[in-house]
Amino acid sequence: MMNRFIIFSILIICGVSEIFAETCQKPEVIASAYVTEDATILTNVAFTTQFVLKCSNGVKGITLYAEVDGKSLPAARLSSDNKYQVSWTEDVKKARSGDYNIKLYDDERYAAIRKALRNGEDPNSVKPLVVVVLNNPGIYRGPWINSELLAVLLAALVSYSAFSSKFKLLA
Amino acid sequence: MSGKSKAFTKEEELLLQDFSRNVSTKSSALFYGNAFIVSAIPIWLFWRIHLIDIYANLISFVLVTLASTYALALAYKNTKFVLKHKIAVKREDAVTKEMSRKLAEDKKMSKKEKDERILWKKNEVADYEATTFSIFYNNALFLALVIVSSFYILKTFTPAVNYIFSVGATSALLALLSTGSQ
Repeated sequence: MMNRFIIFSILIICGVSEIFAETCQKPEVIASAYVTEDATILTNVAFTTQFVLKCSNGVKGITLYAEVDGKSLPAARLSSDNKYQVSWTEDVKKARSGDYNIKLYDDERYAAIRKALRNGEDPNSVKPLVVVVLNNPGIYRGPWINSELLAVLLAALVSYSAFSSKFKLLA
Repeated sequence: MSGKSKAFTKEEELLLQDFSRNVSTKSSALFYGNAFIVSAIPIWLFWRIHLIDIYANLISFVLVTLASTYALALAYKNTKFVLKHKIAVKREDAVTKEMSRKLAEDKKMSKKEKDERILWKKNEVADYEATTFSIFYNNALFLALVIVSSFYILKTFTPAVNYIFSVGATSALLALLSTGSQ
């Protein structure tokens, strides 16, 4: 067991992971994403992204692991032609707007991360296979002023003018 | 215009109109028509916004609207009565000036006739302004109070109870407030 890990890490350190046949070379992704933005009726925001992984050496069907903001997620393989999906949910209060970097790792990189974590090293030192960017344009939590408050404010304004002109007349 | 008795009747009428709480039929119709429309407006609010069942609550809609129409018409009438004299005093100078200028060309008219005309005009102006202002004032207050009570004060009640209390209490409150002298 130990021997295997040593060999594993040596291989990665030497940067000769290319010798593994199933490693994806020059990965490229074509991604599309969807975020549930209407938080007026939701308690959790769902993020989902679908992407097609393209490797210059035509590798297909590899297992991918995803990591978003320190949370590790499985990347579900949707079809044999390298189509994957990563999705997760977040509490409405915690979800931030902007870009989410979904770091994707293959088997060996994921193992390296786990090893780094086990040894108390920085897992960020392991470079991801590819990064998919998901943009959250911002969640809609409803209008700043709800309609009944606006109605009350307008009615109060009209009432104020009625009051003030009455006092002017009675003065 | 020429007969003395006719002029006297007019004067008498003016005096009566000036000092009584009673309003003319035209004015009364205006008040009741307006009060009815304004009392019926909250039905829309409760039907479309508070999602009340309009057919199940038809009886309360009719009764509350009628009661509120009566209370609001009373409020209009009382507010108008309080305002009319104040307005008459406020507008007296302006009306007198304008009427004097208009009547100055007519040399044949006697001083008494002119004064009468000025008084009549003053009464008309004050009556009109008091009527319209009273409607505006009470409508503004009624709708504001209905919105506040239905959305905030009586929010936890069922829409049917909310409707009866917010519209009923608001119109009753306005009728009560209008009986004050200020």
